[in-house]
Amino acid sequence: MEPSNSAAFDGLIKRGELIESVSEMTPDYLRELKHTLIVSGDTELISAPAYYLAARKAPSVNAFMTGIAIIQDELAHAHIAYHILEELGESQEALIFKRDPKAFRYPYAFDVPLESWTELVVANAMYDQAGFCLLGDIHEQCSYGPWKRGLVKVMAEENFHLRNGRNWSKRISQAGGAAKEELQRAVDWMFPLTVEWFGLPDNLKQHSAQLDYRLKGLTNDQLRQQWLATVVPFMESIGIQVPAHQENSHYVLDYPFPCTFDPEAKRWDVKDPCTWDDVLKRWRARGPRNAEMVALFQESFSKFQVQG
Amino acid sequence: MSPQQRIWSALAEINDPEMPINLVDLGVVYGVELEDRTVRVRLTFTAMGCPASDMIIGDIRERLLAEPGVDEVAIDVVWDPPWSSSRMTEEGREALRAWGLSV
Repeated sequence: MEPSNSAAFDGLIKRGELIESVSEMTPDYLRELKHTLIVSGDTELISAPAYYLAARKAPSVNAFMTGIAIIQDELAHAHIAYHILEELGESQEALIFKRDPKAFRYPYAFDVPLESWTELVVANAMYDQAGFCLLGDIHEQCSYGPWKRGLVKVMAEENFHLRNGRNWSKRISQAGGAAKEELQRAVDWMFPLTVEWFGLPDNLKQHSAQLDYRLKGLTNDQLRQQWLATVVPFMESIGIQVPAHQENSHYVLDYPFPCTFDPEAKRWDVKDPCTWDDVLKRWRARGPRNAEMVALFQESFSKFQVQG
Repeated sequence: MSPQQRIWSALAEINDPEMPINLVDLGVVYGVELEDRTVRVRLTFTAMGCPASDMIIGDIRERLLAEPGVDEVAIDVVWDPPWSSSRMTEEGREALRAWGLSV
């Protein structure tokens, strides 16, 4: 098929066929695919330093091993995305080691420091659940064959991260007292950050090339609902409050969405609603830990390179 | 089914947290003893640094305590003989192959 023949290409996508190589793609499809892969790779990659900085606070050797194993998984998942990007003509080296920290395209939530074991396991229970929803959708729907197939094991491993998050959240809640209060505080600031992870609400998003090209199958709001439908009942089942409730078949947030967030204090001001333009501005400026985390994996890269 | 067999089939309901294979097919359960109302399980892991060890122990305890006649579960983690892939059952091997792991 001629790549320029975009009507035929669109038909192929609509019929549910899989794309296997660059030669089959239109330039527009290739651009959207790369963008989607960069967001996925960056998200997995940055979760490694974010989780590592918190895993150091593990309460036992066993817990630390679990934390480190999760980080290893995340790096492997990042590698899958960057490896595919390389096959699509991008340079892994440039993407990982030569980009400015602000040019990385991962969710803002990771820029807010995870500073304790409690915050790490809440991230496993909520952030990894978000990753699970997003990647599960790609795994089921994605029109690009190599990525779709590469996600089989990723899903199994993300499930392990989720279990770690849920087991520990339950255990901390059962401990009660100050431990449970710390858990509730972590959920209080991390819950709305994960809700916004899924992006603009559908009514503000005019058009999605990712959906047109079946790079993903579900809309932002559908994915957000899927996340709420797992996280809200779980948190309630372990006695932790979350600012959302079920109405008929969908979930409704109990706070203005969006509203203002103070990343230094890790506090939402629910009395100060804001616009999505404000949120996009906050995302683009990146958060407190962006530069530190990117430096963690970039700083030693050039050290052992042969000097030309 | 004898009480001992019931324990084994309960253990075969527990999946490894990282792979689609149950603990019995994986070959990490070395022995089961039942004395009065206490089950004693001899268990190993596929690696000493197994990141899922706490989860597996928790899963075994929870599942066996749900068995009638069991009040206590004692788990002895052993490393001798060391686990190797030859301890997997043919069913387990099939499950991992189907999942994409060459065993």
